[in-house]
Amino acid sequence: MNAPRPRVAALAAAVGIVLADSSIVVLALPEIYRDLDTSVAGVTWVLVSFNLVMALAAVPAALLARRLGPGRTAAIGLAIFAGAGVACGVADQLSTLIIARCVQALGGAAAVTAALELLPAAVGSERRAAVVWAGAGATGAALGPAAGGLLTELVSWQAVFFVQVPIALAAAVPILAVARDEASTQVIEAETRRAGRPHLWANLALAMISASIAAALFLLVLLLIEGWRLTPIGAAIVVTVMPVAAYFGSRLAPFVPSERARAAAGAILVSGGLGGLALLPHASVWLTLPPQILVGVGLSLVLSALTETALSGRAPQAIHGGWTISARHAGVVLGLLALTPVFTHDIEVQRRDAINAGTAVLLDSPANPLLKIEMAKRISERLDDEEGKVPTIGPAFEPLPDDPEERTEVVGLREELQDQLDRGATHAFSPSFGIAALLGLLALIPIALARRVDL
Amino acid sequence: MASTRAKLLIGGAVLASLVLVGAYLAAGGASYEPLKSQDPCKPRPWRDPQGLQQLAEQFTLSALDGAACQLGVSRETLARALATDKARERFAKKYGIDDEKLAKAIRAGLVRAVDDAEEAGALTPFIAVPLRGALENIPLDQAIELVKDGRKIFEGASGILGPVGGFLEELIP
Repeated sequence: MNAPRPRVAALAAAVGIVLADSSIVVLALPEIYRDLDTSVAGVTWVLVSFNLVMALAAVPAALLARRLGPGRTAAIGLAIFAGAGVACGVADQLSTLIIARCVQALGGAAAVTAALELLPAAVGSERRAAVVWAGAGATGAALGPAAGGLLTELVSWQAVFFVQVPIALAAAVPILAVARDEASTQVIEAETRRAGRPHLWANLALAMISASIAAALFLLVLLLIEGWRLTPIGAAIVVTVMPVAAYFGSRLAPFVPSERARAAAGAILVSGGLGGLALLPHASVWLTLPPQILVGVGLSLVLSALTETALSGRAPQAIHGGWTISARHAGVVLGLLALTPVFTHDIEVQRRDAINAGTAVLLDSPANPLLKIEMAKRISERLDDEEGKVPTIGPAFEPLPDDPEERTEVVGLREELQDQLDRGATHAFSPSFGIAALLGLLALIPIALARRVDL
Repeated sequence: MASTRAKLLIGGAVLASLVLVGAYLAAGGASYEPLKSQDPCKPRPWRDPQGLQQLAEQFTLSALDGAACQLGVSRETLARALATDKARERFAKKYGIDDEKLAKAIRAGLVRAVDDAEEAGALTPFIAVPLRGALENIPLDQAIELVKDGRKIFEGASGILGPVGGFLEELIP
């Protein structure tokens, strides 16, 4: 088959744009949460629905690609992905958005698995195809947070979905030639080898580690934006440390041929990083950087090693690639569903504790009683305005008094109150980060079993 | 060689993780959380009041503690509930507390404040006894105002205590 470079680029773009979808949306979630006036648990489904459908549809989509033809499947998948992207962008209700996300995932699953079927012919070998496929996915995931944060802040959360439409359609154009060939010749290069059983332990470990990584990204973004009040673009810059660290971490892989060692080291680093996030000693973005570096390096090691293990010696790759996609997205879903009730409960508890602590600071402060009464009124009104959320306390102190002594007292009070709120917001995420770290450590069990019992 | 690299990689991962977690624990990561609310039923020590304003503040805090203890909520929750009418309504709805119950609790809180002030030597029995008697029957709105700003109890003492109130400013330490 003639394989022009635009086709390889289009296939890589298709994989990148679909697998970027989880991470690109994460930074838009707080805006969606406010704009559609929903709950944290509700907005989680914007992410969960996409990953759930991807998990369920990946293997059937790979089978469809083999029956219908990968070119046609990829082209149709990209068209569905683009159309559903428009529907996501115009959605004015959470339910509409979630349905559109499900349809988007169906199209995405078809495009990604069909791309793995098309790539060996385009690049010359299955091994090279797997590298391009995994690399495109990693690049998409790496660029996702920054792109999502930029679009959300400069334009709107809807732009995150609209921008995917022309990219998906442009990627579909070169693939249409393959689809036309398939239609005119009516010949599908049917895979003669039977699809063997998926690698159970590698896929199980992939699911567990994906659960902890998804939790890391999702929880960290929520902490930065909803807890520490960073802008989406600010949060995007902060969480970009993870994919940058992942890039450098991927450079370690060639020096350690043992997939099991890379997977184990990666899982340990992911858990260590999440453990650090669970034990943040202060509300500072700088303190999130070392844990993010560990998570980033760890995820690059563990995901590539487990994917290689899952695909190694198994054919056809599209089906087994489908299993890895399915395992990873199922892990994301399980991680989010397991942790959402934990952190939504903890956020409420910590919000209440932080407000109580702030009130205690106000009551016990040596400030002028009349000033304290005025402050208490303003803070109370502020809490009324932001019921159910971690409040922004700053505006309650504006305008600052003209009297220098009172001004100093008010500024001191504001700092003490903000400190209590920061403590509450940070501590609210600790148990969830801790559980995610534990999940990462538990992934060591299937990693250890992956070599001994190869199912 | 490959085996050594594998061991080094795993050892490095373990070491990096332990160093990070250990450093964050040592820096106080396990205790970085909001201050815990104190039990309002437990006595809170009085600072030595310097003048009327500080006495009034201590009195307010004691009254809040006493009322919160009666209602089974934290001092901070009650303080926010009394800040605005809207907050008071929400508090009453959430905890199922009607005006009568609230008034009873605040009166009890004010009486406890007098007890605490007497125990701390900030009020003499000569003042404390009639003040306690007056506060036990004070109307709800006036009781709330007194809890919000304890100075009113001393500044407006003549209204509450009659002729005795006039001596207050001279008698308090």
